[in-house]
Amino acid sequence: MIKLENVTKRYGDKLVVDGLSLEVAEGEVCVLIGPSGCGKTTTLRMINRLVEPTSGRITVGDRDVRSAAPEELRRGLGYAIQSVGLFPHLTVAANIMTVPRLLGWERSRMRARVDELLTLVGLAPDAYATKYPRHLSGGEAQRVGVARALAADPPVLLMDEPFGAVDPLNRERLQGEFARIQRDLRKTVVFVTHDVDEAIRLADRIAVMKDGRLRQYDTPERLLDHPADKFVHDFMGADRALKRLGRVRVDTVMNTAVPRIDRSGGGAALTSPASCAVERFAYVVDAAGVMEGWSDCREPESSESPGSGVTLIDWREATVRPDDSLKEALSHMLELGFRRIAVTDDSGHLLGDVSLAEVEAALTGGDSHVATSPAGGLDR
Amino acid sequence: MVREPDNIDPGVSHLADRVGATGALIVLAGCALLPLYALRANRIVPGIAQPIAAGGPAAWVLVLLAMVALAAALRARGPSRARLELACAAGMIASLSWALAYAAANITPDPASPARVSIGAGAWLAIAGAAAVWFAATRSPMSRACRVGAAALVAVSWLAAGWWGGLARLSILREYSSQSDAFWNEVGTHLTLVGAALGLAIVIGVPLGILASRVLRVRRVTLSAVGLIQTIPSLALLGLLVLPLAALGLPGIGPLPAIIALTLYALLPIVRNTYLGLAQVDASAIDAGLGMGMSRSQVLTRVEAPLALPLVIEGVRAAAVMTIGIAAVVAFIGVGTLGVLIITGLGYQADDLILLGAVPMVLMAVVADALLRALGRFVTSPGIREEAR
Repeated sequence: MIKLENVTKRYGDKLVVDGLSLEVAEGEVCVLIGPSGCGKTTTLRMINRLVEPTSGRITVGDRDVRSAAPEELRRGLGYAIQSVGLFPHLTVAANIMTVPRLLGWERSRMRARVDELLTLVGLAPDAYATKYPRHLSGGEAQRVGVARALAADPPVLLMDEPFGAVDPLNRERLQGEFARIQRDLRKTVVFVTHDVDEAIRLADRIAVMKDGRLRQYDTPERLLDHPADKFVHDFMGADRALKRLGRVRVDTVMNTAVPRIDRSGGGAALTSPASCAVERFAYVVDAAGVMEGWSDCREPESSESPGSGVTLIDWREATVRPDDSLKEALSHMLELGFRRIAVTDDSGHLLGDVSLAEVEAALTGGDSHVATSPAGGLDR
Repeated sequence: MVREPDNIDPGVSHLADRVGATGALIVLAGCALLPLYALRANRIVPGIAQPIAAGGPAAWVLVLLAMVALAAALRARGPSRARLELACAAGMIASLSWALAYAAANITPDPASPARVSIGAGAWLAIAGAAAVWFAATRSPMSRACRVGAAALVAVSWLAAGWWGGLARLSILREYSSQSDAFWNEVGTHLTLVGAALGLAIVIGVPLGILASRVLRVRRVTLSAVGLIQTIPSLALLGLLVLPLAALGLPGIGPLPAIIALTLYALLPIVRNTYLGLAQVDASAIDAGLGMGMSRSQVLTRVEAPLALPLVIEGVRAAAVMTIGIAAVVAFIGVGTLGVLIITGLGYQADDLILLGAVPMVLMAVVADALLRALGRFVTSPGIREEAR
């Protein structure tokens, strides 16, 4: 889909990108990573001709990028940047409509698209469409930035550290959402970052660059297991086992058959196929299936005092989402001191759980647990 | 402009209002220490101060309102203080119109006699003090209806006092009635000159400002050049223009050098604010615009212009107020602006003729200022408006 052939960029005497060749397959996420000044952003900006290469050839979908006016090329390539660059004088809706407006879409179509995109990035259209950028939090602005890049449904997305300007917690959430969106949309994405964990989590392939040269272009697994040289090895970092967990999505390994008790059903009515005697505990949910806590089955539940032995928790604090990585799940478990942690959706509905056993299996299973299908590691 | 009434600066609202109190004291001082009106036997003899009671009940209303304003500024708090102060300020200026009209009719009952009543120093002081109270009040958030209502009260009251007839016997208006043709000519010339110079300065200055924001060398040359012009005193500039114009075979006096000089003065705020307006646009917004497929000119019209326009209009406002003042000076090179009245009045030592030139200029500047401020607010996107103070 995107092909760079022997691309070089030179500013005066300074060689910023040196004979770079790279191919990104359709529907893949290619992450460009490397220390600052390695030429990754320049490479990205050469694809949409914000920077013109000194020599070499770049094609997008078999067309040389120089075959059309740069404006026309760029309208077909979604663009999201670290500083977001939302237009402060325009509402969120008008910001998102930037490219559709340049393409001359009809108003009703643009309206519908704005609603669709805001919903996609997890912002309520009614609440956000008429807001101005200065009223958005950092994370919300980044979401709008992604929505704006997706507005005209371009086949290609160019993203320059799109989650770089938000706090780590929000960044992980945004990464999870981006991974979810990308699973549905299957865009061809070129993504620049300096965050190795982000690269491992999101990339199909990672291009490690240094001093304008490509050091290794491979899947995250191969980069972790078979680094081409010492630089790549060091750059990927020491905690490779943990980094591997960043590749495994919670919903690919979670147990869905968890014992659960519906508290509104009156005390200890077991609704799970699994027996409390075996599991020794059960999750407690309300009538709508929203996680409320858990019950220790070893303490006999007397009919006089239903709810004894029940630990109530706030699902926002003590559960993980299916989109989260196993690394996040493990980190939560360690933090809370649990051997297992419940998985809920965004409204708190209990979906299942993951335990240290799954983490262990993911670590020893190597490549077989890579999160590419919901079947959870059966596809390789 | 959306103002949030509960978002009040505590520095303005929860302490005594010093500006308002000072304004009210100035009004009281004007009433007590200086004459509000003076009687002159003819145009040029010095006036004889008249007692405040000559203004009839309206004069005492003025004093009363000044006291209320003083009390409000010192004791009241919150939005009600601002409204009270604004009402007092408008009421003081309105009652002054009736005091003057009453005094003029009272002291000089015979319209045919050359004797006339002129506006005394106390009255000017009272107007200045009331304006200060007005300013103090409008620093607080206030609905547009209050502001417009206060301005309407003042305008209606002065018009009514004029229609009633007393004001026409004030010396400044007797000067007007004897000079009305020349007066309106001069007002017309003044406005035409200012309008032409502003138009030219916008046509030249905005592109220069845009160029300055793009090209470093243009920026250096342009900004220092327009800054240098600004340091030349206006009379000196008119003198300096004679030689180059003569070299081109053009007259060194008359409307041409006048327009050139005014345009040159108006350039600085317009060029500088256009440049600053464009320079303050976030580079990432421009990068995003280009990256999404806007052409350079689309980035200018859709991103940079809306963000820079409020500052550009602020520059035009500063230029307008400045050129309205400088336009008086070009009377020296034979252009019939309101400056002619001032120069003539100075020559005859006729104070009221000077005022007839000066007061309309002040009014023009105030109106231009208000209109361009309103325009500036109108073109400012709610997304970049400053939050209510």
